[in-house]
Amino acid sequence: MNWPNPPAEHHAIADGRHAHAIDRPGSPEDLASTLAQRVAEGLAIYPRGGGTAMHVGGPPARPGVLVESNRMTRIIDYPAADMTISVEAGITMKALQATLAREGQFLPLDTPESGQATLGGVYATNTWGPRRFGYGRPRDHIIGIRFAKADGTLVKGGGRVVKNVAGYDFPKLLTGSLGTLGVICEITLKVRPKAEDSALVVAAFTSLDALGNTLGALNTSATRPVAIDVLNAPAARHVLAEMAPSSPWVLVLGFEEAKATVSWQVDHIGRELGGADVRVVRGDEAGPVWSALTDFQSTGPGVVKLRVALPPSLLITLLGRIDPADWQVQAHAGTGTLHMQTNAGREMDQTAADLQRLRIACAKGGGHVIVASCPTEAKGPLKVWGDPRPDWALGARVKAALDPAGAMNPGRFFDTMGT
Amino acid sequence: MSVASPASSAARLLADLAAVVGPEGLIHHHDELIVYECDGYVIEKSVPDVVVFPTTTEQVARVVRLCNQHDVPFVPRGAGTSLAGGTLAVGGGVMICLTRMDKIVEINLPDRTAVVEPGLVNVRLTRALAGTGFHYAPDPSSQGACTIGGNVATNSGGPHTLKYGVTVNHVLGVELVLPDGSIVEVGGKVEDPPGYDLIGLVVGNEGTFGIVTKITVGLTRDPESGRTLLGVFDSVDAATQTVSDIIANGIVPAALEMLDTLMIQAVEQAFRFGFPTDAGAVLIIEVDGLEAGMDEQAEAIRKLVLKNGGTVPKAIPWRTRKEPDYVAIWKSRKSAFGAIGRLSPSYCTQDGVVPRTKLPHILREITRIGAKYQIRIGNVFHAGDGNIHPILLFDERDEEEVARVILASHEILEECVNCGGSVTGEHGIGVEKISFMPKLFGPDDLSAMVAIRSAFNPEGRCSPEKMIPGGGGCLERRSPGRHASA
Repeated sequence: MNWPNPPAEHHAIADGRHAHAIDRPGSPEDLASTLAQRVAEGLAIYPRGGGTAMHVGGPPARPGVLVESNRMTRIIDYPAADMTISVEAGITMKALQATLAREGQFLPLDTPESGQATLGGVYATNTWGPRRFGYGRPRDHIIGIRFAKADGTLVKGGGRVVKNVAGYDFPKLLTGSLGTLGVICEITLKVRPKAEDSALVVAAFTSLDALGNTLGALNTSATRPVAIDVLNAPAARHVLAEMAPSSPWVLVLGFEEAKATVSWQVDHIGRELGGADVRVVRGDEAGPVWSALTDFQSTGPGVVKLRVALPPSLLITLLGRIDPADWQVQAHAGTGTLHMQTNAGREMDQTAADLQRLRIACAKGGGHVIVASCPTEAKGPLKVWGDPRPDWALGARVKAALDPAGAMNPGRFFDTMGT
Repeated sequence: MSVASPASSAARLLADLAAVVGPEGLIHHHDELIVYECDGYVIEKSVPDVVVFPTTTEQVARVVRLCNQHDVPFVPRGAGTSLAGGTLAVGGGVMICLTRMDKIVEINLPDRTAVVEPGLVNVRLTRALAGTGFHYAPDPSSQGACTIGGNVATNSGGPHTLKYGVTVNHVLGVELVLPDGSIVEVGGKVEDPPGYDLIGLVVGNEGTFGIVTKITVGLTRDPESGRTLLGVFDSVDAATQTVSDIIANGIVPAALEMLDTLMIQAVEQAFRFGFPTDAGAVLIIEVDGLEAGMDEQAEAIRKLVLKNGGTVPKAIPWRTRKEPDYVAIWKSRKSAFGAIGRLSPSYCTQDGVVPRTKLPHILREITRIGAKYQIRIGNVFHAGDGNIHPILLFDERDEEEVARVILASHEILEECVNCGGSVTGEHGIGVEKISFMPKLFGPDDLSAMVAIRSAFNPEGRCSPEKMIPGGGGCLERRSPGRHASA
């Protein structure tokens, strides 16, 4: 079967490729039978939630259909006193958080474009933001899953209780699997009480050395921030707008706890930061700044966007090698993870050379660089998922075990992109 | 080529293994092997043909390749504290005991990681980190004996998982000897390596994926301070209601442990901590974090205890986990299982999970089931997680009583499933609970699990007959397990 001509814009999968059809099943059972039927027709399956991350991964490899989850938005069970919730995967993050907020709870996962992004999409793409340092990754909040395989069966893993070691951990396996093992239908999450208060402390740094000393000291600080973000100057202007200090480096520390605990920390960190130029936003005022920190990864001029990880102790050296004229950088310093994007006008061959250097620097500490977004023609040359890793062969066997026909999202993840 | 007799083929296997691990690195006489016939789950027994004690990854890999050449099953074992028969050598074969691979390879405080060998006893990492301001969070009650490799196999928890998570939340990477003898690095030293989250799968695989020979773990900062409160109640109902109230009030305690009358009496006799022996239940409630705001949290908890008719005779403020009162209360809790010996010749610990709000219900059910089968049942468990550990007391010389204990255990676990819970929160499926898997999972779920196991372990030679039903006869329980720690 060939790729169809573009019938309409909403049939676009990604990378200029279009779907033969869009299926919008209304239930997990519908979804499973849709998959079996489309696979029997010889079509590949491209799952889509809110469509905010369709640029992630390699170009779709062969003709197929889009399967959307946006009609599957039910709250299946929300026993608030148990602090767990089971929902269908098509619910938007904003709607999910609104439901939780009514009980004074929240899911501590920062999501850009949360009015559009779905829970299933966030989990399939392993999306996170600045609070990751304090609360953990998507995998740390998921306790149960139900997903549809390409053969039309529905599989569940985990359960609805917060502690459970019965069976293999499908909830974690599916997290970050980019729709290549199956389509996530339902998710059960551990949630948390919403913190009483929140504050962001913004500090300007003129030198990388001073910043490095402060980051080192934060490792044993009396305070316990839930976010430690470093922005270079262009990223600071982008994220903080008029609040941005005119310094080459900006440190943003986030605190979320009871009021008295936040007050003590804000006060104390001011002293720990010594001479640094410090500004505090608190409570409702902090909300938009948290959002801007979260949205950096999906907004801005970057033609190329990267997700980087390395041991935190190598961060300062890495930052010293990144030219702010070329790159906007948001480093989540506590976890050694970075979101980066090119500034307007950066040429692709220069970007490719930068990427190569970054990868070598990260590999020294066992780190890596993922190209989260770039033009289609650059996806192969830039190696979206990086060089092969020792466990990829094993990963390919896991893929073959759950999707032997290779029908799920072909071409997009490391297993089918080729390197 | 002549066909070897069974005797000479066993002798050749022994000789080949000895060539890898040396004559000091294996045992094969029956009287020595008997120690390895079971783990903490003492009912199913199966003596391995030989136990080897490798000291390097390369030795493990060579042993595994020999098992393939000789077509014998093999099973990894740490300290053998598993409570579900996870290290049982089903079908005999070679047991690969990792206790001589027990080094701390690296501690990296700036990056908050440590690299350890699988045979390292959990508490040794805790001790090595004492005073650094960091710790390794998973602290099973058996941490003085259990190994971190075993913790990885079973995804162990402990009293502090409520706030800090279980083993899988703290493992970044492992070195894994696959069942074909190849060595692969899974995961890495930083989070989220590109590819599938195979670490998420490997932790908790119960030995069915191969043998973990090195582990990179994440470290957690020590809390600045804490409060550990003893809540005393007239009834189990009042205690469980308090657990629900604490959670529902948005407090995330570091630990929330419950003991009922029977356990209070056993623990008090053994340790004389000062638990009131006439109480219906006690709760050990711990909060930790910054000193600023700690008193307010402790006060909020005290009010909830009082609201439910309880009292708070002890509230221990602490800055480190070494203060005498703190050590004493946790010693009492973590050694509770050891104290049972004073009450009964034998006991069987179950490991079920229910949604936290179902705790009052499940505890009432346990009382009812105990009365129905005329079995004394004590309870000491991780209340904050909804993870119950009913302890059924019996005399294993009384066959009729043993039969009633099995029926009562099954009825409790089935009620956990009916409540939307699970049959294991931290001890694993092993061989003991394999018959419960079809009650938790459907045929499509189980066949996906079998497919995953086959991706790692296509011939099923590594840890056969464990965790996932299928590929062999169903193991019927004849009598209950006895020892436990949780």
